[in-house]
This record gives sequence, structure tokens and C-alpha cells, in this order.
Amino acid sequence: MQNTSKTHGLSSGEARSLAQQILSYAKADHTRVNIASGVSGFTRSAMNRVTTSGETTNVTVRITSVFGKRIASVDTNRLDVTSLQKAVREAEALARIAPENPEYLPELGEQKYLDVNSYYPSTGDLTTESRAQAAALGIKAAEAAKFVASGFIDVSAGSDAVATSNNLFGYHSGTGVASTLTIRSTDGLSSGWAGDEGADWNTIESDRIAQDALRKCRDWHGKTALDPGKYEVVLEPSAVGMLLSRMMGAFDARQADEGRSFFAKHGGGNRVGEKLFDERVTITSDPVEKNAETSPFTNAGLPVQRQVWVEKGVLQSLAYSRFWAMKQGVVAKAGPSNFIMSGGEASLEDLIRSVRRGVLITRFWYIRGLNPRVISFTGLTRDGTFFIENGKISRPVTNFRFNQSLAELLANVEILGRPTRVAADESGSAGTPVVVPALKIREFTLSSVSDAI
Amino acid sequence: MKSDIARRDFVKLATAAALTAGTGNWEAALAAQQKAAPGPDAAERDLVMLALDAVKSAGASYADVRITRGNTELVATRERQITNVSMSETYGIGVRALVGGSWGFAATRDLSKDSVTATAKRASAIAAGNDKINPVKTTLAPVNKFPDARWITPHEVDPFTIPIEEKAALLFKTNEEALRVKGVRFVTSSISSIRDSRLLGTTEGSLIQQTFLRMGPNVNVTAISADNADFQTRNASIAPRGAGWEYVIGLQLSENVLRWAEEAAAKLTAAPAQPGVWDLVLHPSHLWLTIHESIGHPTELDRAMGYEANFAGTSFLSPPEKVLNKFKYGPPLMNIVGNRTEPGGCSTCGWDDEGVPAQSWPIVDKGIFVNYQTTREMASWISNLTKVRGSLGTAYGQDWASIPFPRMPNVSLKPNPQNLSDEEVIAATNRGIYIEGDGSYSIDQQRYNFQFGGQVFWEIKDGKRTRMLRDVAYQARTPNFWNSMALLGGQSTYRLGAALNDGKGQPQQLNAVSHGCPIALFRNVNVINTA
Repeated sequence: MQNTSKTHGLSSGEARSLAQQILSYAKADHTRVNIASGVSGFTRSAMNRVTTSGETTNVTVRITSVFGKRIASVDTNRLDVTSLQKAVREAEALARIAPENPEYLPELGEQKYLDVNSYYPSTGDLTTESRAQAAALGIKAAEAAKFVASGFIDVSAGSDAVATSNNLFGYHSGTGVASTLTIRSTDGLSSGWAGDEGADWNTIESDRIAQDALRKCRDWHGKTALDPGKYEVVLEPSAVGMLLSRMMGAFDARQADEGRSFFAKHGGGNRVGEKLFDERVTITSDPVEKNAETSPFTNAGLPVQRQVWVEKGVLQSLAYSRFWAMKQGVVAKAGPSNFIMSGGEASLEDLIRSVRRGVLITRFWYIRGLNPRVISFTGLTRDGTFFIENGKISRPVTNFRFNQSLAELLANVEILGRPTRVAADESGSAGTPVVVPALKIREFTLSSVSDAI
Repeated sequence: MKSDIARRDFVKLATAAALTAGTGNWEAALAAQQKAAPGPDAAERDLVMLALDAVKSAGASYADVRITRGNTELVATRERQITNVSMSETYGIGVRALVGGSWGFAATRDLSKDSVTATAKRASAIAAGNDKINPVKTTLAPVNKFPDARWITPHEVDPFTIPIEEKAALLFKTNEEALRVKGVRFVTSSISSIRDSRLLGTTEGSLIQQTFLRMGPNVNVTAISADNADFQTRNASIAPRGAGWEYVIGLQLSENVLRWAEEAAAKLTAAPAQPGVWDLVLHPSHLWLTIHESIGHPTELDRAMGYEANFAGTSFLSPPEKVLNKFKYGPPLMNIVGNRTEPGGCSTCGWDDEGVPAQSWPIVDKGIFVNYQTTREMASWISNLTKVRGSLGTAYGQDWASIPFPRMPNVSLKPNPQNLSDEEVIAATNRGIYIEGDGSYSIDQQRYNFQFGGQVFWEIKDGKRTRMLRDVAYQARTPNFWNSMALLGGQSTYRLGAALNDGKGQPQQLNAVSHGCPIALFRNVNVINTA
């Protein structure tokens, strides 16, 4: 993040050499090394000024030692020879005394991984000054309107590696950036938000973010009451991403087979092959998705491939750990590393035009699980909520708490917009890549009014 | 019903506290901990001094430097097998610099002298860059200097001296007891042991070495219906604690798990909650989280002033001049304190991350909102209203890699001076729901509208706890809810709840914080069914 074009994080050669050094100290039956390295930088603004800004560099090593089926791990970021030797000894000492894990399977040997290069120099080379200039765009837009800007630009650049004593080695480098902005009116009666997220800084549209947040703040001023109830809703892509990415953990075979999931079949087994959602719903994950790339391996070194989870409303597959796959006689399959939902061609305006009486939602807040049997969540709308009447936005309305099953939501999809990468993490950091369309949904449950602005 | 476990736990904690950090004699406790605590490592002290010199030469008018070493040990199990045995350590240095009137921060794991010097200069350069575009300048409230201060969490047994086998054996025994209950198919349990040592040096001459110990035990039981059509979980809602291994022993996990397991199984056939207006009796294992969300967060001054608007949100308690000493948070029986001296509190300390001494202060006094939580940067913003000039000591950075900023202290609801029991509070309603344990929780960004679930629910009829209910959550608006508080239990019902993972800030940082409270009765709260 300083003015340098150096790639952040350990290179493949450096990571391999560090892993080999650590493995050379190992005496266990099996040893695995995970290395995460790189730099993170941020610029925060509030009250129309930069409040804090900083950078952190780190390298973290996880050593996992195995004797028979006894397994333990040690994390450290101290890389001198003495500390690394000590960490290996500690991991081995812990593993020797750890109770056996009957589900442990020997470390993987060499694997073939997808070739993913998600390190974008536009992001890795981003300077503190460039971040400040981008933040200033939001501040200036707010000041000109006599509003107040608060924003966050979060950048990370680095690499991950995995190596085992069975000759496995995997390396992946990547970048991530998120820029979010909240503009509030000085009277505290309105608030607007916009944000972008990607691997490539060049896809972050700082000007548009400033203009969108400003427009939302202007348009939402003067909100009025609307009764809670079931409504047609148009969810902007960020709102869709914040909500639906919560489903990722549900695509797990073991939870379903054990009867602890929406995907569990009554009487035993799981619901793969059943049509559960609207036929236009297709959900995939893919480590090579452009600007939403992820590592092509898991921490344990299992390859991550493109995977179709839901196709045309039918549950196509669930993730299997190596143990569960062995037990069920199937091939192990890593869970989704990103969340990609197919869409249609409709614009946001098209979606709004199709609504007779409904609500447009910009984004959500404080989403928490309610009932895993139906994948239901609660949470609140935030920073731009509008009433739609006869195809037009008629007025700004209060925020709502929702209580909504995502399974039901996916069955109630009416129109899909064009998919886009969204800032889906409530904290505003670049997180798991989420690519989703705007959606028009029928019968979305807005259960109570929130006075919050 | 209150759990024997909690009662024993309280007695145990109170005993430990009397020895070390009794509420009535904080100065004596501080002196005792100063003696008991390890001092700074000479090499680390030299590095802190090197960084302070470098950052001053680079133009900083003020700076603080933290070397922190965080150690976490986790032992986790499911049913009859181990799922995780791990130790982690993170070690490094972070430098926060004030140049002109703007902050800059830089941090590194590389503790070579060259790297430390470069990091200090980098922090200063980032601050100087920000200062060029900043119209408002940060000033800091005065603080005394503490050139040789030390603190360690009061504890009897260092958890890192207890072998992994012993921890695993305790968890396996606990799981085995749970699995004896019909319908219980799954149980997970774990113990996290945390040690966080931090050396703080400031350009104003403080040098403070502190060591924090925290325990985070967890037990979660799942029962599944015979036809696989339904499952219910009962999390034990065991509070993390600023304590040693003695806390875990005092919990008597393998004895108490039977009740949690029976409750998980009973939830499968419990009656569905009838939505509508109910009185609620909230046990401290539940109420702590409602306090955290609806009092702890909205009384953070940085939120109220807009500093967290882009993520955690703002506060309904704003602007300060309109609410301080005026806003009626609740009835006269409501007294809330911010308290970094609370025995066993996860946020209890000797000094905060700016070198401000730990203290206790009223936030709500007889129902009236009287103060926020502040840091050195924020204190002057409201000192004309509160007559408090100094910081209240709430600065905290998660670790060396994280910039310190305002974080919640232990925020607690004082018990009733009359020592009412759980039963006496339950007896005060004819038609209510009694809730134990924290469940799903969500609150809006100004802390008005909230919805909380729980772990177990019982119907109260004519002052007596009767049948179990399921799928209960209540929705309320913060001021209405607290003004509906009708009765508090006494000191004997007071317990601490806590979280190790309270998130705030961008980049998000986690804070460990406790909330003490007695059992409490609330009138006419809106209940929904979450099935």
C-alpha cells in the first residue's frame, strides 16, 4: 500500500520454502502447513473527515500435526527458526495427547487445482493517498449538499498456501477491496447508502457510490408510515446478497443427512433432486468467476471446483467432507467458496415498474438466523426504503424488521435482474464474493416498523 | 428453576472476588494485582521506547504503542470424539500516531528494530497525509501518567497449566451425560482459554503491562424427533468470564448438562407460543444480551456523534444536549453502570488502551440517562454537560494489528436493594413467559427496534412457572421496553452474561464484554412465534 509495485504476501517460492522448512522440523505421522500472508489497509471517514487510516502486515502459519488419528494444530506469526521449531514441537505435543478423532483421514497428497489468478495490481498497488482521494469524493458530495458522509475503504492483498507431508502444495494469491458510503442529512432524518466490492479496484466506481448514496439520502427524506405486513418487494442486489449469502452454510450433506437442515428429508437422507424453489433459481459457486475469484483449495487442501447447487429450482448437490463422503460412498466435495445466482435481463426500473403495491429495499442490517428448519432470518431494512405504487416509487417509508424464510423467498421469485458483484458483508469489509441479481419477490414478510434512520 | 449451576457459580465468583477485586475496594484490588502481575519484558520495553522515539521524531504530537501477544487454546468435541485441539498465538506491534490533529496507524508482526522504526514512521506519515485534508483537529483529554503499572486478571488457576486431556475428559463426560437423554442425538462442547498480554507505552510517559485471562466454555445439545421432521437445540448459554480454570470447574458441566439435554428434548413437544402481549420474566442468562444491545451500544458516544454511521450505526440517544440528564430510559428502579472494575468482567482491566485507569460510573441513574461511554478523544465533547473532564476509559484495540477506538465496558443493571428471589419476581405476574438463555438477536442501527429469542421458555400462570413453550421471540422499541420494567430481583439473582465477540468498527474488531443483571419483570411486551 506504500508507493510500490511489489506484490504483497509471500510469493509461491517463498511460501513453498517456508512450508518445506516447517515440514523439515516435523516428526509426526502427518503434518500440514497453512500460510496466510499479506497486507491490509483501510481508510475510514465520518463527520465529513477522515477519522482513521492504517495498514497492517502479517504472516500467519498454521501447523497441523497428526499421530494416528490424534490431531492438533498451532497458529503462530513468529517466523524465526526457534519460534517455528517451538510451534512444531507444540503442535506435536498437543497431537500426542489429543483424544483420537475417529473421523480423521490421512492428509491429502498432490492435487490438481484450478488456475486462479485473482491478484489485481490495481488493488495491491493502491496507496493511502488514493484511498483518501476516493474517500474525499464522498465527503465532497455530502458537503456540497450540506449532508454528512461516513465511509470505509478496505483493501487486502496477499496469498494463501497449503502444504502437507504427503507432497501436496497449493498456492493462491489474491486481492479484495470494498468501498461503502453512508450519507446522512444533518437533521438526522435521512440516510442513504451505496457500496461496491470486488477483487479489482478498477471496478470500484467511487463517483457513482457518492452519487447513489447522496440520491438515496435525498430521496428518503420525509419518510412516512406504512403498515407492516406481507408485501411485494424489490430487493436491490446488495440486499439480495446480504440475505441469500446466508444460505451458503446450508448446502451441507451431513447436516441434511443428520436431520438438522431444511435439506433434510423426512424419514432420513436429503432432498437432492427435489424441486424446492422457483424454476428460474440457479445457484452456483466458481473459484474462477471474474472479479469474484476465490482460492481453488480449502484449508485441508481439498480442490474447490465450479459447482451447481441449485439448478432451475432443483437442489442439485450438497457439500461432503472427506469423512462424510467416505461414509456415504460418494466423492468429497468442498462447500461453496463464493455465491453466484443467475439472473435475467430486467433492469431495476423494470422490476419497480412491475409492482402494483410494494416496497423497494436498498439493503439490510443485523441479519440473524431464526429457524434453520426453514432457513429463516430476521433483520432490518436500512438506508433507503420506498413504497412502490402502480409501478412507480410513490414515497419514502419507515424501516421495517423482516422475518422471512429464504426457502420461501426463493420459491416466491417473480422477476430477476442482471447479476452483479455486491458489497454483501454488513461490516463493509471485502468478504466472500457474492454475485446476485436484483429480485422481485412476492409475499415478503415485513413484520414490524423500525423508527431507526 | 434457576440453575443450581448459576447459583454455585455466583457463590464461587463472589468468593474469588472478595479475595481480589471486591467492588467496594477497587484500590486495594488494584494494588494486589500490581503485585501479582508480571512486569514488562525488557526487550519488548526497548522496542516500545524505540517506536515512541521514532514516531516523535517523525512529527507526532502524541502516540501510543502496543505490543500484544494473544494466545488462545481451543478444545472442542462432538459426542464421543474430538473435533479440534488447537493453540494460536498472534504477536506484533501497533503504533497509533497523532500528527497535527489526525490519526494514523501502522502495525507489523516483524519485531526487528528496523521494522519497528519503519512502522512507527509509517504511522506518522499516514497521520500527516490525513491531516492535510482534515478540517477538524483531534484533541485529547488529560490523563495522569503511569510509568510502571501492571495488572493481571484475578484468578486462581492459570487455564494454560491444565492439560488438554483433562479438558477433553471433562467435555466427553459432559457429552456422555447429555446423550443419555432420550431424543438427544448430538452434542457439541468446547473450552476456549484466552491469554492476552499487552504492553502499552505512550509519548506522555505511561508504561503499562497487563495480562488478561478469559474462559469461554460452550455446550450445545440437539434433540431430533423420531421421524426426522423436527430438531431443537438447547445452548447452555454459559457466559465467558474474566477468570481462570476455577470458573470452568465451578460450572459443574457434567452435572448440569442433564437439565440442558432434557430441555432440548422437551422443546420438541413444547406448546407453540401464542403471539400477543405478554409479561416477560427474563433470567440474567437472557437479559444480559438485551442490555448489551439496547443500552450498551446506544450509550457509546462515538455512535451518538456519527462515527459509526456507515456500519454499526448511530444512536437514538442524540444529540447529547437533548438527552443527557433528561431522557427517561426507564422507571426509577433502573440503575445502569459502566464498570471496568466489575469482578469477573470480560472488559475488566487496570487501564484502558490509552492508559486511562479503569473506573465505574453511572449511565442511567434512577431511570434517567446521565452519561455516555467516552475515550480521551471524546471526553471534551460532552464535559460541559456531564461535568466529567477526563476520559471514562473505554479505548480498546483487539490486538496489535488493530487501532484502539471506543469499545463497550462492562455495562450492568444494578439489582433491587430488596433481595427478591427468582420465585418472588415470577410470582408478580399472572400471565407471562419466563425466558432463559440468549437466542436469536437483532436490533436496528439506532437501537430502537429489537427482536430477541431465547433458549427455553415457560408459561407463567398465576405467578407460577408451568408448561414449556417453544418458538418465542419478543419485539419491542427500546424506550418502551425499559419503561415497562416493573420489578427486579435482588443481589442473590445477579449474574454476569458476556460475549467474546462483540463486533464494531471498520475494519471490524471484536471486544470481550460482560453485563451483570438480576432477574427482571417486564409488563405487556409483544411476543411473536418464530416457527
